[in-house]
Amino acid sequence: MPSIRLHPKSSSPTANVILSPNLSHPITNSLPQLLQTPSGLALLELQGTINLPSTEQDDDQNHCYQSPKGPTFETPVGKLMFPDYSTLNPDDTKWMKRVYLYVGRYQRMTGEVKKLPRPIAVIQKRVEVENPSAEAEELEVVEIVRYKIFFKNRPEPVNDV
Amino acid sequence: MATQDTRAILLTHTYPQQGFRLLELTPELDALLSSADAPVLELKSPSNALAKAVPDVSGQEYVNLCTPTKTYRIRQVQSSNSLHLLRPSAGRISRADIKVVEEEAGESGALNLPDDSVSAIAKCGSTLELHTPPDGFSAVPFLEKSLRLYDRRSEDVDEDVMMEESDAIEDMGATGMQKVREQICADVPVSAEQCEQGWVDICAFVDAKSGLTGWRPSARMRLNVWKRILDGTILQGIDLEKQFLVEDLWKSVLDDDESEPFPRGLLEAVVRKLCTADERPALPDAIKWASLERVECSSWVGETYLAVTAPTASSAIGRSEFLQAWKDCLPESWRGEASLSKLQNGVYQSPDPTTIFFVEPSQRQQVAKAAAGSAAAAKAKPTRNWHELLKTQKRH
Repeated sequence: MPSIRLHPKSSSPTANVILSPNLSHPITNSLPQLLQTPSGLALLELQGTINLPSTEQDDDQNHCYQSPKGPTFETPVGKLMFPDYSTLNPDDTKWMKRVYLYVGRYQRMTGEVKKLPRPIAVIQKRVEVENPSAEAEELEVVEIVRYKIFFKNRPEPVNDV
Repeated sequence: MATQDTRAILLTHTYPQQGFRLLELTPELDALLSSADAPVLELKSPSNALAKAVPDVSGQEYVNLCTPTKTYRIRQVQSSNSLHLLRPSAGRISRADIKVVEEEAGESGALNLPDDSVSAIAKCGSTLELHTPPDGFSAVPFLEKSLRLYDRRSEDVDEDVMMEESDAIEDMGATGMQKVREQICADVPVSAEQCEQGWVDICAFVDAKSGLTGWRPSARMRLNVWKRILDGTILQGIDLEKQFLVEDLWKSVLDDDESEPFPRGLLEAVVRKLCTADERPALPDAIKWASLERVECSSWVGETYLAVTAPTASSAIGRSEFLQAWKDCLPESWRGEASLSKLQNGVYQSPDPTTIFFVEPSQRQQVAKAAAGSAAAAKAKPTRNWHELLKTQKRH
């Protein structure tokens, strides 16, 4: 059985190109500094899952591991808030204790930002720039993530934002 | 309660989702992968044949993650929570859609869209964790199954294919041999360094003259090589503890008519195994110079002799007989090295105080564990008594 090569994170910004192929303008990352990574990837852990209309779910199954070729679109899910975070005082980490995820107007999940006990490498199939149809599968570490946004509780009702 | 000042970030779900795997890193792997010159790692699993020949303790298929020097077992851990990968939104979202989230926010809506948004681009229901079993990983069991056993009796010499001279093959030797070794190691699911270690430990070699096959010499063959070396050094006056040319040693083991008693690769493999560790060249490089380390070399000879003459409990031999034979296998000045205490732990067992037999490496761990278990049990007993002793003391 051939071994599969796992490439370390490349220092060149190719990872970004792979993740967002059709972007011409630079993306601003609005997450708190601590959660920002060079590739822009961050981790969000939820109890349960994000449910989307079923037709889309079915399609997901088929396209899940294809690189996006067709149209890409985004469905709004909710709003993330870091109520205690201030860009003026980025070294203070107390804000990590409280994160909200509003789903619709009347439901809210409370979570926190946690340092991962062990960092997590995000691995993706390597896209061969020169020869995309190359047979041998190669993998690449696209990011090493050290924090996660963690919602361990169920949504609670709220009456106003 | 969040106030109007709090920045809200729109969370979206991107379609289609991308495929990612999450791998939990150990501190060393984190350091390795974060370094500027991070090496390429490998995911290795044994070939189907090897997986059957060397079953894993778990009895399941597995994949190992290999750095150049270390091996980790990958375990997929399912989670009831879902892990989503977020990244700054690509901005492919219409204001009409945003209203779904921001329904009644109206004019005072706090969202500055679409810049302030992140999108879930992938969902992972499991993470990959890394483990190292307490006994570590060894290439030896795999190499033993993938290499052919080299155990030729000297009287077979003439009809043996290995003696067919073919200069053409010998010319492509070095690189060809290296290729064969690499092919064999590709199927061994441990790191390159551990593969090399195992290769050296069992004196494996590739012989160009037998059509570039990988061989592992039997214990008897290794002992024969050693005896030839010993005879040769006496004849040629080579001091094994001082640096010598391997070429000279090779010449000294040749028969009178210059014919080869065994492939040169085998001699080099044995010298490589026995030479002083800091003089050992990396495997692809030929070993040109060497000097042997008396203590380690002596214990290897004793171990090999025992493996040849008393491979199982039923063929156990007398201790004094063994020690005498061992001494006779060593250079004159090394005879003092032949004592049971010089053998590594677990190499031998004694069914009774006067006899001794060899324990296969694969069996040693179990023996050691059993011994540790009984030792712990023995220890536990007095401790318990001590507790009881204390208890009774308190009562009085």
